[in-house]
Formats: sequence, structure tokens, C-alpha cells
Amino acid sequence: MTLASFPVLSIITWSPFVGALLIMFLARRNARLVRWLAVVSTSVSLVLSVAVYVAYDREAAGFQFYEDFPLVPALGINYQLGVDGMSLLMILLTSIIIFAGAWASWTVKVRSQEFYALLLLLVTGVYGVFVSLDLFVLFLFYEIAVLPMYLLIGIWGSSGEVRPQGVFGWAFGRTGVGTKEYAAMKLTLYLLFGSAFILVGILALYVAGDSSSFSFLEMELTQFDPKLQSWVFLAFYVGFGILAGIWPLHTWSPDGHASAPTAVSMLHAGVLMKLGAYGVVRLGMGLLPDGTLQWSWLVGTIACVNIVYGAFSAMAQTDLKYVIAYSSVSHMGVVMLGMATLTEVGLNGSVFQMFAHGIMTGLFFALVGLVYEKSHSREIFKMSGFGRMMPGIATAFTIAGLSSLGLPATAGFVAELLTFLGAWQSSYAWWLFPGVLGAYLTSVYVLRVTKQIFWGPPSTDPHFLNLPDARGPEWAALWILVITIVLFGVWPSLALGPVDTATMPLLNRLWVLQ
Amino acid sequence: MGGPLGLELGLAVLMLLVFFVGLFMRSEDKRRVGVLSAIGLVILFGLAWRAEGGTEMFRGALVQDELALFAKRLFLLATLIGVLASLPLRAAVFARRATEYYLAILASLLGMLILSSARDLILLFVAFELMSIPLYYLAGFLKREPEAVEAALKFFLVGTVSSAVLAYGLSFIYGVTGTTDVRGIAAAMSTGHPMMLLGMLLALGGLGFKIAAFPFHMWVPDTYEAASTPFVAWLSVAPKAAGFVVIFRLYLEGMGDRVLFWVPAAAGLATVTIIGGNLMAIPQQNIKRLLAYSGVAHIGYMLIGFAAVSANGVAMMLFYLVAYLFGNMGAFLVVEAVEQAEGSEGIAAFRGLAQRSPILALCMLLFLLSLGGIPFVAGFWAKLYVFWAAAEQGLYWLVLVGAVLTVVALFYYLLIAKSMYIDAPERRDPIPVPPLLSFCIFLCVLGVVITGLYPKPLVVAALRAAGPLF
Repeated sequence: MTLASFPVLSIITWSPFVGALLIMFLARRNARLVRWLAVVSTSVSLVLSVAVYVAYDREAAGFQFYEDFPLVPALGINYQLGVDGMSLLMILLTSIIIFAGAWASWTVKVRSQEFYALLLLLVTGVYGVFVSLDLFVLFLFYEIAVLPMYLLIGIWGSSGEVRPQGVFGWAFGRTGVGTKEYAAMKLTLYLLFGSAFILVGILALYVAGDSSSFSFLEMELTQFDPKLQSWVFLAFYVGFGILAGIWPLHTWSPDGHASAPTAVSMLHAGVLMKLGAYGVVRLGMGLLPDGTLQWSWLVGTIACVNIVYGAFSAMAQTDLKYVIAYSSVSHMGVVMLGMATLTEVGLNGSVFQMFAHGIMTGLFFALVGLVYEKSHSREIFKMSGFGRMMPGIATAFTIAGLSSLGLPATAGFVAELLTFLGAWQSSYAWWLFPGVLGAYLTSVYVLRVTKQIFWGPPSTDPHFLNLPDARGPEWAALWILVITIVLFGVWPSLALGPVDTATMPLLNRLWVLQ
Repeated sequence: MGGPLGLELGLAVLMLLVFFVGLFMRSEDKRRVGVLSAIGLVILFGLAWRAEGGTEMFRGALVQDELALFAKRLFLLATLIGVLASLPLRAAVFARRATEYYLAILASLLGMLILSSARDLILLFVAFELMSIPLYYLAGFLKREPEAVEAALKFFLVGTVSSAVLAYGLSFIYGVTGTTDVRGIAAAMSTGHPMMLLGMLLALGGLGFKIAAFPFHMWVPDTYEAASTPFVAWLSVAPKAAGFVVIFRLYLEGMGDRVLFWVPAAAGLATVTIIGGNLMAIPQQNIKRLLAYSGVAHIGYMLIGFAAVSANGVAMMLFYLVAYLFGNMGAFLVVEAVEQAEGSEGIAAFRGLAQRSPILALCMLLFLLSLGGIPFVAGFWAKLYVFWAAAEQGLYWLVLVGAVLTVVALFYYLLIAKSMYIDAPERRDPIPVPPLLSFCIFLCVLGVVITGLYPKPLVVAALRAAGPLF
């Protein structure tokens, strides 16, 4: 039996959903069964994603494992799925992160049934966005991927320890900045605000296209009016860009990621932000070549601001989770910069960075979650010398940090190198400098944090004596992520092979217009 | 049932029956007339499904077209839910004066039924008053409470002034065209006489009060807050739907080839209504006031469909009305259940509802999501279709305003969700819900979910209903 003979993408997408249903109906008050159902349903997705990744025919390229089922024929809405080299990598990323996330949230005890059900529902939405080829269905999945977040952060999140001070202290106190309720509401509203733009863009393309179909494949063949392309591209850029954390619309992300429970931070920073970048590439660049050419200067320049601004913000934080959250803002800038270069290496680097950053930041958040769970602290300058007590966590954190600052032999290096090469080749060669500056600043804050928490002198604080290292299931999460970082760092063509088959046709359409 | 007046006559018989049974009922508890009304409404609702469209009476002054039928079914359904939900009302006054209460509701319903068929200005106006006057009375039904009296007075004053403005506007139209027949007006419209447009504009102002569009909405929150919740649930849907039917008749059917004249006015009214309603809903702490302002915003979204001035626009608006019926009535009924148990209408009364009564909380969440326009529940399709109709006419800016303001709406809906799901409950005991009330809530949930998962039949019906206007 071959993979193509059954709807493998649907199974990948809906397996977590089935898991969520089973958890809701079968596993009432049985925390152990809940966890195992979650692990099993995500492993199904993981195994199949790896299988699809291997079976994808790189010679033929294009969209494969195609599924098509009419939903609302009168409006041209079809349940249409398919993967190309880019979405392939994103599915693999999602699978790895959620699999690791299921292991990493082993210790969620409060209302764990609802927690896992919502988490798995969210994952179904994420998979759905990556695999759907129908814009309408894509939008539906997008909404599924956004909404459960409100409850996940609001119920199981944690409020920041650093209380607001200074000039804005009063206003911050009034609005509850730093609390999980505030973060949950902010994140949800920002992302729904973005989805409003996306919906308008999709409707505009649907009305303007003559095929009266929401199918990506049909819209791809339509030549839209350049003026329409211009504003629809902007709508997609703002809509998806909010999710990708573009400056100045990124402020939901540090608050949201810092307040979210571990698995949700992993998933959100690791995968959902990529969903935004993916949306810009897939819908923005894929459907609107004219719009892309008109606005690539804006995308790249904002990306440069992201890189530098995010890095400086990360340096200023004293809460460990906020450091990682702001580093995501900085690294997402690299992703957006790569795609704005409109060069082959740049775009490949951008997609590779989506993957590399996803894994790396997933590992970071898993580790921060573990450190917090054991020491009950996120204050960087209170913690010190944890490396002696938890060598495993310390080592994993250092590896993630090295990948973050782009050390060779880690995935982060490949991604940044390609992106910066692309920037140098692009029409705006000066983009290279903010990029490199960002990489430099990253090494400053990452090494500072690593040194302070793990490798400094042992802490004298009695709270921090005899902290345990990672345990059983937690190791599983750490190992998977560390291995992936190193594997893709030393063997980048594993990812770049399929990605290149997806980015080249896209760029060729752009270059023809140039 | 033959003839365009069949349903109205049936309803009149039911009213007489309720009246006499109530008169001769000896006991102090006259709640059983409510049961009688409900049974009668079920029968009428069944008959409404069998009624055929396309007949008219009195030389076309009264017409039973697909639009009228669609509207009548909607009114009957809303009234049925409203009456059923009123049956478990506990206050003694509802037992003692039940005949009046149900009779007033039925009288107002009769006005709505005639209104949706009326194609003559005089008939239209009379039906409008028949619908409105019982509403003033019902708003002040709890006459011992000063808030109710104030609300009723406010509602009455605003309502009569708006009726006067409406009549004033209609008089201009009659003065210029010399006819009260809507089709005659449509034919005369091509002259484009300025007084006629002025008359239409005045009438739109008058109707704006009835549907509670933005600058004319101030009676809404006070009335909602003071009146009994099942009545408010019904008030928030049925009379507004009736107002929209009049708008369709006058401004689409009665405008002939000048119909596009209304696009800027309707789009402007929609914009201010959406923005105003949504922004004013944010600071509300009383959930009925919150739902009142959010209802104003929903009227704005429906006006987007009007601004599209197309068969699709009208159809999508009708769809919106149905989704709004289920979502809004359902939300009010959950409020009623919580109010009966907790004695408070504050958002705080919902704290930890998910841990006290998970199913009730889930129902409320579904209603809120539907009102907020989230996929897989009815409200999403409603918003999407209205936006789609507007996008077809190139009104992209209006779509963007509407779409962005849904985020504001979600903010205050999510505040309720937060209270239910995130905040810890003060007490642990589940909230008791009277069986009839839970049945009504269940009906609304069914409506929201089924329409959300399979909107096609309703879309087809709405498109058929919008057909005769264009």
C-alpha cells in the first residue's frame, strides 16, 4: 500500500482532532489516559508526516498527495488539500513540536482534560492551514488555530513576576499588563484583527477572479489587476504579518508567549508565527506577483527593524520567558527579510529559518518551562549556577542558544547564512547590515542569559538548592528537538531539497515581471 | 390555508380565544393562557410552512410574496420562543396578569404579520402602530418598578415621535405622487422630485428608531435593562426584523430606478451604527445592556446588506436576521436562567459558570461565538455573506470597517467567556434551569449549530425570499 492511496493529509490533520474528541468523551478525570491519548494521536501525525516527507517526489515537485472534495459547490468552496516542498517542511515542524509539546506538558494537572483537548484542536487548525489549497478552508482552519489560544492562555497561563513600573506603571496596572488574562485577550484580539484583513483580501480575490472559486490552484492562474494586487498584498501582509510578529504589530507576541503554558508557548512561537510567514509567502507572493514587487521594499525594511528592535528588547528583559519571546520577534524578522529579498537563496533561507527557529524556540520554551517548574522562578538575575544541578537542561539550553546565534553545525547557522547571502544579492544590499547586527546582538543576550543562569557560580538562595534535572518524559521532548537542530544543521539539504522545488516556480513568476 | 390573510385571521381567532379563556378563568394563576398561546402559535407556525406565496388582496395593497412568507415564519418562530420562555417566569405579576401579557404579545405579532404583507402606505403605517403600541405597554409591564416605568416612558416617547416622523415623511411621498401604493410610488420615482426624496429620508429616520440604528438607539439599553428578559429576547429580534421588511418594501421595491440613491445613506448609517454600537458595548457591566448595544451593532451589519442594494444583499440580510434570532435570543435566555438563579444581571453573575453548569456555559459560548462571527456557528456565515454581498458591489471599505469592528465585538463577548471559563466560581452548585427554558435554549443552540454547519437550505430560502424585490 502506498501513501498516495489513502487521504494521508487528512489523517495527519484530523488525527489530533479525533484525539481531542476521545479525550473529551472517554477520559473524564483520568489524567493518565488523557496524556496517552494525546501522545498517540500526535504520534500518528508525526509518523505520517515523516512518511510523507520521505515519499514526496522531488523530481515531480508541485502539489502532491492531492485531495479534493466539494463542500459548497455553489460558492466554489472545496475541501482541497495538497503539499509542496514548503508546506511539507512546515508539517514536519508542526508534528515535531506538538509531539514534543505533548511530552513536555506531562505535568499539567489542573483541568488537564480540557487542556489537551483544546491543544489538539489548535494543532488541527495549524495542520489545516499548511495543507489546504482552498482559501476559504484555509481561513476556517486559521480561525481554529487562533481561538482556543484564548482559553489556553487564560486558564492555564501564568502571570509575569515583573510588575509594571515607571511612567506607565499606573496605566499598566489599570489594564493589567503582564497578567495572563491581559495577554490572552491581547493575543486573541490582535490575531482576529489580522484575520479581518485576511478575510477581506480573500473575498476581494474571489470576487475579482473570474473562476468564482476559492481554489488556490485556479487563482494562481488568474492575472489580477495590479492595483487590486497592491492593496490585497498589503491586506495579506498586515493580516498574516501580525501573526508573524512584524513590527510594530508584534506586541501581542512577547506578552502572549510569556504568559502561555509551556506547550502552548512552544506551539505558538514555534509554529503559529510561521503560519503567518507561510501565509505571506503562499498567498501574498504566490497569488500576487505584482503586489509583491511593489511592496518588497516595505517588507524587507520592516523586517530589518524587527531584527534589531527585537534583539535590543530581548537584551533589556529580566524575565527569562520574555527574553525568548523577544528573540522570536527578532528571528521572525530574519524570516521576513529572507522572503523580501526575492532571491533563491534568500527565500530558501527564509523557509529554512521558519523551520530552524520553530524547533529552536520550541526547545527554548520547553526548557524555560522545565526550569520554572523546578525552581519556580523566571527572574534571570535571581537564578545562578543551575548547570551543576541540572546538567541536561543546561546543555540543551546552550545548544538552543548556539543555534539561535547562528553557530555553524546548527540549523540556525544555515538559515541565517542563506538569508544574509540573499540580502546581499537583492536590490537592497544594505539589508545585510541590520541582519548581521541582529545576529551579533543575539549572541550578546543569549550568552549573557546562559552564563548567568547555568554556568555562573552556584546560587546561595535556599530556594534553589538540590533542583532536579529533567525526568522521564521530559527527556523525550528535549532529545527530539536537540537532534533535529543538529541533524538539519549538518545536513541542510535534507530540508533545502524539497523547499527549493517549491520556491523556484514561485520566484520564476516574479522574475518574469521584473 | 388559502388567501394572504389566512395566518392573520388565524392569529385573530387565537387572540379572541386567549382573551375569553383568560376572562373566565377563575384562579389567580392565569399562566395557562400562555400555554394556550404557545399551542396556537405552534399550529400557526405549522400553517405558515404550508402557505403558498404569490397571492394578493385588496388590489395589491396586501401581498403574500416570498418575502412576506419568510418574514412571517421568522416572526412566528421568534414569538413562539419568546412565549415559551415566558411561561416559567416566576414573578406573581406574570401569573395574575398573564392574559394581558400574552394578548399584548399576540397583538404585536399581528401587527408584524400584516406589516410584512402591506404594500400600501396607510396599511403599512397602521400595522406599524399595531405592532408598536403593545410593545410600549409590555416594556412597562412591571409597573411597580420605577425603572420599568421610566423605560416604558422613554420607549413610548421615542417611539411615537419616530412614528410621527415616519408619517410626516410618508405624507410628502403621498403629496408628490398622489398614491399610497408602493408600486405606484416606484413608477413615479423616476421623476426624482426632491420633495419625494426628502420624504423618503424622513421616513428612513423614523424607521431608524424602530430598528435602533445608531443615532436613534438610545431607548434600547434602558428598555432592555428594565423589562423582563424573555420579552426583551423577543423584542430584540422580532420588531427589528419587521422594521427591515418595511425598509425593503419602501426603499427597494418602492424606489423604481432610483434605488442606487440609497447606497451612500445606507452605507453611512451602517458604518456609524457598527462603530457606535460596538464601542458603547465595551464598558457595560450589565449583560443586558451589553447585549443591547451589541444588538445595535448587529443592526449595523444588517444594514451592510441593505447598502449592497442587490438581491444577494437582501437575502444575506435575511440570513443574518435568522442567525441573529437564534444567537441573540439564545444569549438572552441564558441570561434569564442565570438571572433567576443569581438574581443579578451583571457579568460577574457568570463567574465560573463553566464549572457550575458546563452545558449552560457551553450554550452561552456558542451564542457568543455566533454573535461574534466565528466559523462553524451561524453568525460566521451571516457576517461572511453580508460582506460578500457588499464586496460584490465594490464596497470594500465597508467590508473592512465591518470586519475590523468584529474584533471589538469579540473583545466584549470574550469578556463574558472569560468570566464563565477563566474566573473561579463563588459557589459550586449548578444553576437550576426550568425545563421549558432549557428547551428554548436547546432550540436556539440547534439553530445556531445546524445553520453554522449546513447553511445551504437557509441561503436558498433567503435568496428565494429576496427574489420578488428585484
